[in-house]
Amino acid sequence: MTTTQRKKIIGLTVNEETYELAVECQETLLDVLRNNLGLTGTKEGCGTGECGSCTVLLEGEPILACLMLAVECENKKIETIEGQSINGDLTPVQEAFLEKGAVQCGFCTPGMVLASTDLLKRNPDPSKEDIMESLGGHLCRCTGYNKIMEFVHHAAKLNRDNT
Amino acid sequence: MYLPKFTLESPRSIEEAVSLLGSGEQTKLLSGGTDLFPRMKYKLCSPGVLISLKGLPSFPPQIDEERKLIIDANISLTAITLSPEILEKAPLLALAAQKVATREIRNMGTLGGNICQETRCLYLNQTHTFQFTEPCLKRGGKECYFAPKGKKCWATFMSDIAPTLFCLNASVIVAGLDGEQQIKIEEIYTNDSLKPLSLKPDQIITKIIVPKTQSPSGNGFAKFTVRKTIEFAIVNVGVFLETEKDLKTCKKARIAVGAVSEGPQRALEAEDWLAGKSLSKENINKVSQKAASSLKIIPHHGYSKKYLTECLKIQSKQALNDAVEGLADQSNRGR
Ligand SMILES: Cc1cc2nc3c(=O)[nH]c(=O)nc-3n(C[C@H](O)[C@H](O)[C@H](O)COP(=O)(O)OP(=O)(O)OC[C@H]3O[C@@H](n4cnc5c(N)ncnc54)[C@H](O)[C@@H]3O)c2cc1C
Ligand code: SF4
Ligand code: FES
Ligand code: FES
Repeated sequence: MTTTQRKKIIGLTVNEETYELAVECQETLLDVLRNNLGLTGTKEGCGTGECGSCTVLLEGEPILACLMLAVECENKKIETIEGQSINGDLTPVQEAFLEKGAVQCGFCTPGMVLASTDLLKRNPDPSKEDIMESLGGHLCRCTGYNKIMEFVHHAAKLNRDNT
Repeated sequence: MYLPKFTLESPRSIEEAVSLLGSGEQTKLLSGGTDLFPRMKYKLCSPGVLISLKGLPSFPPQIDEERKLIIDANISLTAITLSPEILEKAPLLALAAQKVATREIRNMGTLGGNICQETRCLYLNQTHTFQFTEPCLKRGGKECYFAPKGKKCWATFMSDIAPTLFCLNASVIVAGLDGEQQIKIEEIYTNDSLKPLSLKPDQIITKIIVPKTQSPSGNGFAKFTVRKTIEFAIVNVGVFLETEKDLKTCKKARIAVGAVSEGPQRALEAEDWLAGKSLSKENINKVSQKAASSLKIIPHHGYSKKYLTECLKIQSKQALNDAVEGLADQSNRGR
């Protein structure tokens, strides 16, 4: 059966909590995270796929929340930057970010952290080229990227030391 | 930036999707949304109804009894790069998919969406909210701002994947109100920037078919950009070489180029010239020159025709060399 949707009540599972929400079809995951759930860690830079600041993990894979309809995320697992630390304990990736000072204004940081988390899960010891490839869709207007490269290498080391 | 309002349909079968699509002018298909949503946000189009293909039954790439490769049009670009069947039967497709945009976009974007993306131009693909000029031809106006006084649209077709399907002699299965048909990939393109696809309003691409290849073969894909990542191609070139058993003599070459005109193009003259010849450095040089000088090139995104022609020579040579190197590796492994 076809389901015609204009406004729909959906269950969204964000950072392991399920929310029931009335969502209009055209609302993106980014709109709903920020406007309905108050999860403003996910940023909107461009809204058109070019900057990576709206990156979230959908079923563990990084995607752009600005180009994803919220209604199409029903029954899928969403992770945002807010769900990374548990009870205030930062993840090794976040620790590495702080230690290397890879942040200035912070607008790109949530996307950078999530994309790096995804990279290190697939590749525990990435080369400079691997990092450039994985973070290629993440624009940073402040740091000049050197600190960000350093942080991913450092995060990889912290991750390896932890295991 | 918000999307304009629309109604979303989520059909569960191709038949249902086709009947919904054929039911009105204001309907449009939605796959990954990475091409469509930026256009909708820029108000380049405002379909009233979107028909999402995400709920359709999906299947992983398959090799049938005739050794043809059958690929679901809805496969994500990331899945293309990881599929053992595609890596075995059509590695060229995986090479191109890996070069599209970024990991996030490859996770969302699909094969069907990639080959059906709209043409682009520097003027068109931006927000028009604060513009007081008349819309250009592509937005229903009377003028082209890219080529002032122009009565034609010059927007270029930027898919990285479509040229490689030309190289692989692929076809698509199209479902519509009249039933299903198989058409050559070349035939879905019109070479008209205003309407780059020949598909009828009720038609959906459901599968991509790559036929079996006979001879030993070499693959090469080159994409030239300034930033290396998250950038549309300045030029892209796919090369598929079928060789004799010696792996050094070209039996048949297929060379296709994208991003420089209204649709992908085969470099037929260059292909014919190389057939039967040795894949020597000298011949590769010559064939790259021939490819670049025989194709239609539209200046785009600030690059002149002269510059693009030079880029095309270099990238054709790169793709051909990669294909030849791959063949040399096969030959060494065989020893
Ligand atoms: C920042 C950015 C960078 C990009 N870089 C590149 C790049 O480097 N190379 C490149 O090739 N592309 C690039 N793209 C374009 C595009 O996102 C990708 O090509 C992607 O594969 C499109 O697939 P989709 O599923 O998201 O398409 P959608 O946006 O869902 O659809 C695209 C169009 O195709 C139609 N359509 C979709 N599926 C079908 C079907 N099965 N049958 C018939 N019609 C269909 C839709 O109606 C729509 O008009 C980029 C996009 C962005 C935003
Ligand atoms: S090339 Fe086409 S899209 Fe670009 S301004 Fe001219 S008419 Fe518009
Ligand atoms: S806000 Fe999504 S990519 Fe820029
Ligand atoms: S720290 Fe400001 S955009 Fe990256």
